[in-house]
Amino acid sequence: MNKAMILNPTRPVWPGFSSSKSLCGDASCMEQLLLHCANAIESNDATLTQQTIWVINNLASSDGDSTQRLASSFLRALISRAATKSPAFSFLSAASASRETLHRFSVMELASFVDLTPWHRFGFIAANAAILDAVKGYSSVHIVDLSLTHCMQIPTLIDSMATQLIDKEQPPPLLRLTVVLAESPPPPLLGISYEELGLKLVSFATTRNIAMEFRIIYSSYSDGLSSLTEQLRLDPLVSNEALVVNCHMMLHYIPHETISSSRSSFLKELRDLNPTMVTLIEEDADFTSSNFISRLRSLFNYMWIPYDTADTFLTCGSEQRQWYEADVGWRIANVVAKEGAERVERLEPKRRWFERMRDAEFTGVGFGEAVEREVKAMLEEHAGGWGMKSDVDDSDDVERFVLTWKGHSVVFASAWVPMSRVDGCSYIEALEIG
Amino acid sequence: MPVELDDSSTVSGDASVSSTGNQNPPPKSAGKKKRNLPGMPDPDSEVIALSPKTLMATNRFVCEICSKGFQRDQNLQLHRRGHNLPWKLRQRSSKEVRKKVYVCPVSGCVHHDPSRALGDLTGIKKHFCRKHGEKKYKCEKCSKSYAVQSDWKAHSKICGTKEYRCDCGTLFSRRDSFITHRAFCEVLAEESAKNNHTQSNKLYPETVIRKNLPEPELKSPAAVDSPPSVALVPAPAVSVEPEPEPEPEPEPEPEPQPANIASSSVLPIPDSSESPENNTLEVVMEEAPRTIGLNGSNDHSNNNKSLYAGLFASSSSTASPSLYASSTPSSSRYPPSSSMEPISLCLSTTSPSLFGATIQDPPPHFLTPMSLPPPQPAISATALLQKAAQMGSTGSGGSLLRGLGIVSSTSSPMELSSHDAGFGLGLGLPCSSGTGLKELMMGNSSVFDPKQTTLDFLGLGRAAGNNPGGGGGGGLSSALWGGGSGMDVFGSGELSGKDIGRRSS
Repeated sequence: MNKAMILNPTRPVWPGFSSSKSLCGDASCMEQLLLHCANAIESNDATLTQQTIWVINNLASSDGDSTQRLASSFLRALISRAATKSPAFSFLSAASASRETLHRFSVMELASFVDLTPWHRFGFIAANAAILDAVKGYSSVHIVDLSLTHCMQIPTLIDSMATQLIDKEQPPPLLRLTVVLAESPPPPLLGISYEELGLKLVSFATTRNIAMEFRIIYSSYSDGLSSLTEQLRLDPLVSNEALVVNCHMMLHYIPHETISSSRSSFLKELRDLNPTMVTLIEEDADFTSSNFISRLRSLFNYMWIPYDTADTFLTCGSEQRQWYEADVGWRIANVVAKEGAERVERLEPKRRWFERMRDAEFTGVGFGEAVEREVKAMLEEHAGGWGMKSDVDDSDDVERFVLTWKGHSVVFASAWVPMSRVDGCSYIEALEIG
Repeated sequence: MPVELDDSSTVSGDASVSSTGNQNPPPKSAGKKKRNLPGMPDPDSEVIALSPKTLMATNRFVCEICSKGFQRDQNLQLHRRGHNLPWKLRQRSSKEVRKKVYVCPVSGCVHHDPSRALGDLTGIKKHFCRKHGEKKYKCEKCSKSYAVQSDWKAHSKICGTKEYRCDCGTLFSRRDSFITHRAFCEVLAEESAKNNHTQSNKLYPETVIRKNLPEPELKSPAAVDSPPSVALVPAPAVSVEPEPEPEPEPEPEPEPQPANIASSSVLPIPDSSESPENNTLEVVMEEAPRTIGLNGSNDHSNNNKSLYAGLFASSSSTASPSLYASSTPSSSRYPPSSSMEPISLCLSTTSPSLFGATIQDPPPHFLTPMSLPPPQPAISATALLQKAAQMGSTGSGGSLLRGLGIVSSTSSPMELSSHDAGFGLGLGLPCSSGTGLKELMMGNSSVFDPKQTTLDFLGLGRAAGNNPGGGGGGGLSSALWGGGSGMDVFGSGELSGKDIGRRSS
């Protein structure tokens, strides 16, 4: 691992500061150090940068406790930022976490990965429940799965469809799955082709007696998935078909206003397709600040969570943890060291997403108590720190679920239906009325 | 915020309210009160910090008359009644009691901070035990240990009762992780492949990947893909558009290289069907092999599409609804192997129990058409694939795979079943084809075990014997993803620019 090449470490400027790990093991101290370093970098102060790096380097460790590992990732990212920023930092070698070194998960590995913590399963359960409810009665269900987890949500959806959408009169609906393949997807990287993945999913659906189609559309998040929406518009209208767009931690890769207005336009284009339901699951954090220091602060106050949870389910030094933390490190490096269009990790907080959805003429639907119980039952199986809260959004009085770790928000889950354009009531209400 | 007037009511009863950050609200009393979230106390409440000793003391509530101790206030009140106190003394002081919240005595704990105090004494006791206490209660069946007795009891009740075991041996405590695993489990796929092989040479539910073109007119094949189930549904609009007859022939029309994959559709072909339908099926299936091909093969640029269409063309020309409408499962046609239960494979209805119950059962055998003779196409699938493999293979298959970034060794070497009928990718066993492909792509050398006579559907065993390692795999991968330069990028899921360059050179 490339650390900064410091030839002449100078004494740290803080008197009485000891580099003993026990002193600065806790997160707030580490945060301060990292912020100092960030400030030094932003002000092009090579000496101070060098000093702070040296200090943090002594405290951080990729094998230590969660704070140390977190700091180690941050340090690497900061060094990378400094090195690419200005010639003043030419003494640093930029060791960025390139995607080539990231682990490529086999399908089996990914399947077990998504269940190590509730991070993804939380959203899966909520979204699948909402989807199932929304597609009852349709003979064809078209799911557009925009998921970070490469369709890991689909097997349980297929299974639920097979068991719950069967009744005497009707066969289970046809399932059409559309996925998007982007050129440089973010981690976790899948080691097989999407074609293969599709094959497996379709065979699985067969075993559950669900007829399924699988389609890959090449599209890019950086342009707001324009080729996807275009393709969806061109799709022939199928009678009695439900269109569901499942957005699982991918929409934040669509640039937002600092780069372009793609994020809002995508949502509006979605609305124009009149989907039966849109499920939006995202991480609840704010990495959008253009001020680097505040961005770093938000990043730190969110990214401690994956490192902390890793301690609960992954043993020290295990390969899985290395993969997991490498992926997290990539994201940290992206927020810290990249700028402009290269910086793709632009998480927005929940309320901002909800504003966008409402602006795009969607209205929220709640998940219901049964789903809440299901999510909680799932959380019981995991470490004690996981929890969920059910927040009512004042603007639309709909309960939304938020996954929490030790009380801190991690992921939110929400379900949306198009608002009727006629008189502003929800689409479903409009159907009932007229 | 409602104030708890009556101290004697225990808020949580037995509910586990208080593991750190865990926000399960306790069971609601009659009439829903708006509760604060556990760990986010009412700002007006009184914070009580008990020492660990007091917290763990079992009998905090002491009767003033006889000094008998009780664990709960309710119990103390009940006891006091027995002392026949005069009315005045019986009542508790009627002053407004402020809601009490409790903090954990351990500094550094989340709940040590008053702003994260817990509203319930039992809750804080449990929390203290769980988080900071010694885990004295151990489950016998598994290795879990608990500090709080009620947790331990609750766990023991469910330990081992709900277990999902995959055929590969992995155990799951949750159904959804089991299902997700099962969907991709290769061992499972292998088993079903073996099972299906005993029924021999049957074409599979077509999990063909089609290259779709963005132009709208080519959407119709996609629609055609869905006849089986759609046909059963009163929504004919979707279903089978009568395909123009040329479809079954391998189309010479050039396909643009950027091949968007359209649909891998499944053709759930029921187990049993009446004989006229059988013939149709046979016809359909027979046509298909002619059009098997992988996109990389230069002679058959459009085969996948036509394969698809080929399958459904004839079906559409006949009364396709009837083809698939047969809903009478008859597993007598497919004598299940000893490990399997007869499972209804009808498309229309089936009792839910079949599906619900079959989780633990061995994998259902795939839907396959009935009694089809092994197709003897003009160009066998095997030959096609071999051709594709030779063309695609750069002789440095290993580096090809590496170039594609698929280097990691898989966790468990798979033993591929032997098939003597070398069926094409789409017509083989979907799961095992995926498996085989994956194995090949992973460059897993166990795949090319010389002891095996053939490799599953690919029939690459023969070729692979001479071309060990990535050669066949490389060829296959190039074949699968189209020999053209552009799309290989996406076919592999993720390639950097330099890899493209390497491939096309």
